[in-house]
Amino acid sequence: MSAHPGGPVTAAPAPRSRRAVRTVTVVASCLAVLAAAAVMGVRALGHEPAVTLLANWTGGDERHFREAVIEPFQRKYHIRVDYQGSNAESQVLGADVEAGTPPDVVVLTGPGELAEYARQKHLVPLDDLVRHAEFGPPWATRLTDGHVYWFPLKADLKSIVWYPSGLGERELRQAVRRPAAWCLGMGSGATSGWPGTDWIEDILLQRHGPAVYERWAGGDLSWRSPQVRSAWTAWRDLVGAGGDPDLVRRALQTPYQSASDPVAARPRGCTLEHQASFIRGRPAWRQTDGRYISSAELLHGAAPRGWEVSGDLVALLHDTPQARKLIRYLASADAQRAWNEGESGFSVHTGLPPAADGSRSAWHRSLALVLRDGKAAHCFDASDAMPPAVRDAFAEAAIEFLAHPDRLDRLLGSLDTLSRTPGLTWLPSVCDRT
Amino acid sequence: MNPGNAGTPGAGQGMPAGAGAGSPAGRRTPGRSVHGLARLLSRPVSWVTRTGTRPSDGGSTTARDLALRHRLLLALSALLTLSLFVSYQGVHDDADPLRTSTAPAVLSLDTALYALGEAQRDAAQPVPTSDFQKQISVAVQSLAAAAADDDLGGPGGRQALQTLAGLITVYADKVQRSQLQPQGSLLREAYLSYATGVLAEKGSGIQDRLKALQRQQRAAVHRQTSFGPLLRLAWSLTLLLALALAAALLETQRFLRHRFRRRYNRQLLAAGLLLLAGVAVTVLFTVWTQAGMNHTRTLLDRPLPGRFIPGAGRDTASLLAGTGFRAAAAVWILIGGALLMALAETGLRRHIDDYRFRPR
Repeated sequence: MSAHPGGPVTAAPAPRSRRAVRTVTVVASCLAVLAAAAVMGVRALGHEPAVTLLANWTGGDERHFREAVIEPFQRKYHIRVDYQGSNAESQVLGADVEAGTPPDVVVLTGPGELAEYARQKHLVPLDDLVRHAEFGPPWATRLTDGHVYWFPLKADLKSIVWYPSGLGERELRQAVRRPAAWCLGMGSGATSGWPGTDWIEDILLQRHGPAVYERWAGGDLSWRSPQVRSAWTAWRDLVGAGGDPDLVRRALQTPYQSASDPVAARPRGCTLEHQASFIRGRPAWRQTDGRYISSAELLHGAAPRGWEVSGDLVALLHDTPQARKLIRYLASADAQRAWNEGESGFSVHTGLPPAADGSRSAWHRSLALVLRDGKAAHCFDASDAMPPAVRDAFAEAAIEFLAHPDRLDRLLGSLDTLSRTPGLTWLPSVCDRT
Repeated sequence: MNPGNAGTPGAGQGMPAGAGAGSPAGRRTPGRSVHGLARLLSRPVSWVTRTGTRPSDGGSTTARDLALRHRLLLALSALLTLSLFVSYQGVHDDADPLRTSTAPAVLSLDTALYALGEAQRDAAQPVPTSDFQKQISVAVQSLAAAAADDDLGGPGGRQALQTLAGLITVYADKVQRSQLQPQGSLLREAYLSYATGVLAEKGSGIQDRLKALQRQQRAAVHRQTSFGPLLRLAWSLTLLLALALAAALLETQRFLRHRFRRRYNRQLLAAGLLLLAGVAVTVLFTVWTQAGMNHTRTLLDRPLPGRFIPGAGRDTASLLAGTGFRAAAAVWILIGGALLMALAETGLRRHIDDYRFRPR
C-alpha cells in the first residue's frame, strides 16, 4: 500500500481512535487524582491529634495550668490539649458520660465521684501508666477490684487557719471567738457551700480523730451522731450562723476567692480564714504576708490529730494514645514540679523532694513537709470522698444551716436518709493511718 | 511495505543529533545523564516542546508544528482544569459549611445569649414565672443547634458546648432554689447571687464563655468568606491559563486553516466554545457565591439583638441559597476538562496521524 502524495493515507482507524481514547483517559485520570490529592492534602494539613481535658480550674489557676503544664506537653508531643475548666465540672462530666461523649481525661477533686465512675466502668485503670508507689494512699487509693484509677496532680492542706503577719498571739486567740473576725465566703458557683463543709469536716477530725472521721466519710457513722452534730454546732458558734444578718449575708454571698479581701482593707474587715493552702495565692494574703496555724492548735489548743487534705485527681475516661501520653506526662515528676514552682499547690510525688528548693518561702516549705510527713495522719476531704449526691446535699445543707441553724435536725435527718440510699459508692478508706 | 514506515518522522530517522531534546536519544546523552534533577524538571516542558520530527533537509515542518500544538493544547487544558478546580473549590468548598453550619451556629449563640439575658431578668421577679423556663429551654435548644456545627473546633468545641449546657443547668437550678425561698430572705439572695455568678462571672461565666465561642465562630466565618491572597493568586493563574489556552486554540485554528485550507476545525471550535462557556459559568458562580458570603459576613459580624435574630436567619439562608448547587458543580470542571482535552486530541489527531504516514 502506498501513501497518497498530497493527502492523508487511510491508516487503520481502530488503533488511532484507541490511542486517542487511551491518551485522554490517562490524562483525565491523572487530572482527577491530582485534583483529589490537592483537596485532600489541603484538608489534611488542618488536622492535628488532640486530647480533651476537663478540670475545675478557671481564671488564674487555669492560666497557670495552661502555661506550666499544658503548653510544655503540647510542645513536646505535638498533641493539642482542648482544655475546659468549670466549677460545674461534675454536672458537665455527668452529662458527657451519659451522652457517651466524655472528655478523654478529667481532673476531679472528688475520689467519691471517681469511684462511682469506676464502678460503672467508665474509668480506665491506670496500673500500666502510673506507678502506684509514687503517690500512695490516701492520694491514689486502690479500689476493691484491685485497680488504681486516679492519681493526684496537685495536693492541698486544709486543716489550717490563715492570718496576717504581725498579728500577736493574744490578738489571734481573741479573734477566734469573734464571728466577725472570720473571713468566710460560701459562694463557688455550682459547688457553693463547700467552704462550710470543710469547716465541719476539720472540726470533726480534730475533735474526734481519724477513726471517727473515716467511719463518717465511709457512710458508717450517722449524721445525727453526737460527734457529727457537735461539729455542726461548733461551726455555728465560731462563725455566728443565724446571728447578725449582715454577717451571714456577707458569708453566704461572698465567693470563696474573695473572702479574704477584707484582710487587706483599712480598717481590716476580718482577720482569720479557715481555708486550704491554695488560698495563700490570693492578693490579700500575699499583701499581708499571710501565715498559717493548724486549726487544732488555734481552736483546741492541741496538736492536730490528723490533717485534712484535698487533691486534684487525674483519671482517664477515653483510652486513646494521645490521652495515655497526657496521663503519663501528668504523673511525671516534671509536670508535678511545674505546679509546685507556681505555688499554686503541692505535689505529693515521691520522686520530688518536698521542700528542697531553698528559694521557697517558709510557709510553703513547711506546708510541703506536713503534706509528706510519713508519721502524721492525712485524711482526704470527707465530702469529696462521699458519693456525689451526698456531697452536694452536704454543701446545700451547710448553706442552709448558716442562715437557719435551727433547722439542723431536719438537715441531718435528710442527709442520713440520703446516705442510706442503696447503690451509693463509698470509699473503703480516706485516711492513710487511723 | 508501507513507505511511511521508512521515512515517517515518527521513526526518528534522519533526525540531527540532539534535535529532539526530550526524545529517548536525547535523554541518553552523557551530559544529561549526570543532571538527574534538571532532567526530571525538564521532562514536562520537553514533552510539550519536543518536536521529534525535525526535518534535516529543510523539508516540511507541519508534523512537528502539529505535534507541538497538540501537546501545548493538552498541557494547557490539563493545567487550566486543575487550576480552575482548585480555585473554584477554594471559594465554594467553604460556602456549604457556612450555609449549613457556621452561620446558623453564630445565630444560635446569639439566641442563647439573648435568651439567658431575658432569663436573668425573669429570675429576679418576686414570683416564679413560666417565662424563665421558656428562656432556659430556648438557650439549651440553641446550644444544641450550635453543637450541630461540624466546624465548631472539633472535640474541643463540642466539649465547650457541653460545659455550657452543664452550666445552664446549674444556673437554672440555683434560680429555682432562690425562687423557693421567701421574698427578701437571706437564702433567696444567696441562691440568686450564686446563679448570677454562674451566669456572669468574668472569664468563666456562661455569658463570657458564649462570647468566646461567638468570637471563635465569627473568626470561622471570616476564614470561610475571605478571598485571600492565595485565592487571588489561584484565580489570576486560572484566568491567565484560560487566556493562554484560548490564544493557543485560536492560533491552532489559524495554523490549520493556513496549512490545510480548511476554514474551521470543528473540534477545536467546540473546545473554544466549551472553554469560554466553562470559564464564564464558573466565574459567574464564584462571583455570586462570594458576594453572598461577603454579605453574610457583614450580617453576622455584630451581635444581634434578640428580635433581629430570626430575620437575620432568613437573610442568611436567602444570601447563601444556591451555594450548595454551585459547590456541587465542581465535578463538572473535571468532566469539562476531560472533554476539552478529548476535543483537542480528536481535533488534531487526524492531522498528526495523516503526517505520520505521509511520505517525505
